[in-house]
Amino acid sequence: MLRAVATKLTDPSRWPRFEKSLYDLIKGLRTHKGGEDEYVQSCLRECKAEIKSQDMDKKATALLKLIYLEMFGYDMSWASFHVLEVMSSSKYLQKRVGYLGAVQSFRPDTEVLMLATNMLKKDIVSPNIPALSLPLASLPHIITPSLAMSLLPDILSRLSHSSPVVRKKSIVCLYRLALVYPEALKLGWPKIQDRLMDDQEDSSVTTAAINVVCELGWRRPHDFLPLAPRFFELLVDSGNNWMAIKIIKLFATLTPLEPRLTRKLLRPLVNIIQTTSAMSLLYECINGIIQGGILDGEDNLQERDDVATLCVGKLRGMIVIDSDPNLKYVALLALNRIVTTHPTLVSMQQDVIMDCLDDPDISIRLQALELAAGMVTSETLQVVVERLLDQLRLATLSSPGNAPELEIGSSVHPETEDPEESKTSEVSTSTAVALPNDYRSEVVHRILDICSQNNYSEVVDFEWYVNILVQLIRLLPPSEGDEYWNQNSPSQDAAALSKSSTAFRIGSEIRNVAVRVRGVRLEATRAAESLLLVDNRSTFFPAGSNVGNDVLGPISWVAGEYANDLLSPSRTLQSLIDLSNVTLPARTLQLFLQAIPKVFVRVNQDAGLGMTWKTETSLLLARVVEFLEALAAHPDLDVQERAIEFLEVLRLSAEALHSDVQEMPSLLASVLPSLFMGLELNPVAFSAQKKVVLPATLHLDVAFNDDLQTLFHTLDNSQLEASQRGSLQDFYYIPDLISPPAKSFPGIASIEMHPDSSYQNVLRGPTESPGTMERRKLERKERYKDDPFYIASLDSHSGTSTPVFGNEANADVLDIDAIPIVDLKLDSGQPDRVERDVSNPRQGRYKKMEVAADETFGSEEIPSRDYLVPGQVGGSAVAKRSLLQVDSSGLGHLSMASNDGPGAISAEDEGDVEMKKAMRNVEQMRLRMQRASERIELDGIPTEGTLIKKKKGKKKRASSSTQEVTLGDGSSQPEEAKKKKRKEKKEKKEKTQKEPRTDPEELAGKPSGSLA
Amino acid sequence: MINAVLVFNNNGQPRLTKFYTTLDTQTQQSLIAQIYHLVSQRPSSACNFLPLPPLLSQGAASSTGPSDAPTQITYRTYATLSFIMISTSTESPLALIDLIQVFVEALDRMFENVCELDLIFGYETMHAVLSEMIVGGVVVETNIEKIVAGVRSQEGTSGKKKAVQAASASLGRGALPGLGAWR
Repeated sequence: MLRAVATKLTDPSRWPRFEKSLYDLIKGLRTHKGGEDEYVQSCLRECKAEIKSQDMDKKATALLKLIYLEMFGYDMSWASFHVLEVMSSSKYLQKRVGYLGAVQSFRPDTEVLMLATNMLKKDIVSPNIPALSLPLASLPHIITPSLAMSLLPDILSRLSHSSPVVRKKSIVCLYRLALVYPEALKLGWPKIQDRLMDDQEDSSVTTAAINVVCELGWRRPHDFLPLAPRFFELLVDSGNNWMAIKIIKLFATLTPLEPRLTRKLLRPLVNIIQTTSAMSLLYECINGIIQGGILDGEDNLQERDDVATLCVGKLRGMIVIDSDPNLKYVALLALNRIVTTHPTLVSMQQDVIMDCLDDPDISIRLQALELAAGMVTSETLQVVVERLLDQLRLATLSSPGNAPELEIGSSVHPETEDPEESKTSEVSTSTAVALPNDYRSEVVHRILDICSQNNYSEVVDFEWYVNILVQLIRLLPPSEGDEYWNQNSPSQDAAALSKSSTAFRIGSEIRNVAVRVRGVRLEATRAAESLLLVDNRSTFFPAGSNVGNDVLGPISWVAGEYANDLLSPSRTLQSLIDLSNVTLPARTLQLFLQAIPKVFVRVNQDAGLGMTWKTETSLLLARVVEFLEALAAHPDLDVQERAIEFLEVLRLSAEALHSDVQEMPSLLASVLPSLFMGLELNPVAFSAQKKVVLPATLHLDVAFNDDLQTLFHTLDNSQLEASQRGSLQDFYYIPDLISPPAKSFPGIASIEMHPDSSYQNVLRGPTESPGTMERRKLERKERYKDDPFYIASLDSHSGTSTPVFGNEANADVLDIDAIPIVDLKLDSGQPDRVERDVSNPRQGRYKKMEVAADETFGSEEIPSRDYLVPGQVGGSAVAKRSLLQVDSSGLGHLSMASNDGPGAISAEDEGDVEMKKAMRNVEQMRLRMQRASERIELDGIPTEGTLIKKKKGKKKRASSSTQEVTLGDGSSQPEEAKKKKRKEKKEKKEKTQKEPRTDPEELAGKPSGSLA
Repeated sequence: MINAVLVFNNNGQPRLTKFYTTLDTQTQQSLIAQIYHLVSQRPSSACNFLPLPPLLSQGAASSTGPSDAPTQITYRTYATLSFIMISTSTESPLALIDLIQVFVEALDRMFENVCELDLIFGYETMHAVLSEMIVGGVVVETNIEKIVAGVRSQEGTSGKKKAVQAASASLGRGALPGLGAWR
């Protein structure tokens, strides 16, 4: 059968050549299953030869083949000149191929575009309408500022062409011209306005004009206010739903500026809502009412509430009655917008929304989830969270019987219970068994969001919350994130990813609750303890997942900090120092290491009471020391340092214990505990550190020594007296290259020359006897006697050997306690500790819980938790430009109203001023964000400079290199952007090369089926 | 505005790519791959809106207000082909679903019982149909009659189309039940 098709398709009268036609190419691709790439490469070689041919037919065919291959990712940028040649063909169909080639392959850096200006000018004024349409449809893809400038007059004249086809396309083309060349709009707007106001105009042209205005509308709403009456007329009279949708969208941006519009619009909108049968129009009306802020105002309370009720009622209908998932989705989308202004109205729809939480469609579930988070109150919180937990439990069990789905069909809307309905619900049950992992972690994130919002204001029962957190750990999806995305975004920082992982967040929540809510601290600590125990780990954390690693860190901190609340400190300590812990990731171990001595101190307090305290304690000490020794050579420096610090302290304690003491040595009894006593830790706001005012006496920018050159000079001549102080100065101030004098100081040299002094070697033998240790200690003391970086032990406190702290002259300057910045004085300043009393009448049955708020200075700011919630990564992400984004910001600066007298109203000028102010603010914001993200790059560049730079970069990207040539400033293109692009390309190259080509199955004669 | 229109088949092979903003070929390909990955995971009963793939979610603003960044991806699957429209928030999501329907119906008129094979061999025509509907990311025509008339006025003398039609007719394909679902 297939052969028959093939012979029919190869129309010999049309392709009587030896070269392959496009049809031959496609056919060839299908016959070369497996070896497509080779085949394509040979085709590309042929095309390269054919496209140079003098025969225009041959050239166009070759180009057509190239365009086809480009669709699969084969580069055709090398052919751009030939594209121009084909574009200039006199035959329409060849010309069309040429224009298609330009649209598909020209990029802003395509240089030949400059040569096309005259040809484009000629085509735009062509008498043949299809030929004239080609440049109009293609220009938006290839336009550059310089091209726009030279083509503008021709396009403007097309706006009054006799054919509506040309007029509608010209309007849109002009809009795209204006995006790169804002002046175009200034000249073109009066003409577009004429089209818009003309009652006799073809409806297609009016619609196109409305579409363009809708695109422009949100950028400069003030300019379109004068046209509001005409829009209103079109909305009421036209009867064209496509246009009505756009007009409503446009009004949504206009109404916030003109309150009178609201009153006028309300009636027709309500009328449409009540009468229309087109769901898209109904939805957009509701959406327009929400987005236009019609529900937000204060006056006419009754009317507003009626409208809100009507909208919510209609949305409810979209969810309940129609089984169309699209309507469900958009209704939830709209409810999500209403919930901020009318939370009570929305929460009345709780029943249907909750059912959507169990919808088989993940998109709908996610919307419902967001909505649930928005409308939750302290009464509904537990119900919502329990429901979500059930969902997770089901997913974890992955049981085939999906109870919630069945509920939808049976209990909620029995009125739609017809055979078809039950059939679809059956289908959905079978498809919704497995929940994707990213959805499950999204649910966990949402649960945490819901509970922790406003500093836990909605949580009434914290014991319940701690319990939920522990349950969540069991329900976490086995692997974090979707593998597929991780492969594709190598730029994502691994550390940042783990920081935001759900497991880490749960651990942090347990810690937060323990710190903030004193009343539930005991329970939180006990929960942390039970999770920590080695015996429990296998049940809580499934093997092969990294869930445990992320949770254990924060909870070990809780166990350490609140060791007094532990049920069994000794068991906790055993779990903390279990040797299997050594393989945990460094960030977890760091927190473990801090917890170990704290719990040890706690265990010790108990031990002091018994008779066998001495053997018990020394045994315990030996085991802790053994664990610490295992970490003393850890590759992570932080872990290593902490391990060694505590190791040394504990070894000293062990020594103190070994001598014949009858009581607990003071080192163990008081010194060690005192390390961790003191003020209780309170939560500190994320931004508090930034608000600490630098003390007046601290000059960070003043040079220590203005006369550095002379200093170097004197040092080079070795004229400086070799005092201890001098040696220190040498070390800090003279870079390695020019510091030969350092060699003359034995103290510093010894660090380099005695490899024995590294941390690892100190701990070389865990089996060392106390005698050798003592000897080594003496040796060490001797060796470090003159080393300024070691503080000698107390007995050798003899002036000269401790240059930093021993020297009286330095003591004033270097006494760390005297440096004022250390003292934050959190308690003395403003009343910065805000304690919220969460109790109110309806919560009477629960214990009163105080939730400590973040401590901070001065005014309250919105606590930024972006660093924990991946979904809201605000700051840096906003600064980035989206991939497919068209930059229309240029239009924001343009005033179109300057030359049309009657339309301009006085409010407009105010609006312009406001707009400018807003724009300035936006610029500043952008600058700030940009600076944050490119701190290193911007070092030392003044603010104004960076702003301009950014603009240039943007423009460059949008424009073509033609501009580079004409303006001669091509070098200003940001190097970084180039590099990034190159890198991206490299990464994707491999991938795309594997991808392309046709479907082997189709060739194999499988009926491809009709579009149905 | 509409930022891109994509058509690919069940195996993720592109049948039409049209980006209304310039994008290098490599990025285009990886975007198609990401969207295909999303579409292929969805059951047929799911709604026609996709979450943003990683390539697009990077720059998307979190606010609900309008912006230049694309925030909506609407798709619709007909038999072996998926039609995708990536757009900003100035487009209505439900209207986009209808727009895809208009596009497919117009193609059906052009090819008479359109199938994937028609679109492979007649992809120039498919581009012509699209450019009658959308210019530079803005919808210029939604009336099927006018769209078809516009394309016909370009391709009056083309014999190729007829050959393709004749050949594909011999494959014995059924009617287009999906096209009836006009909202």
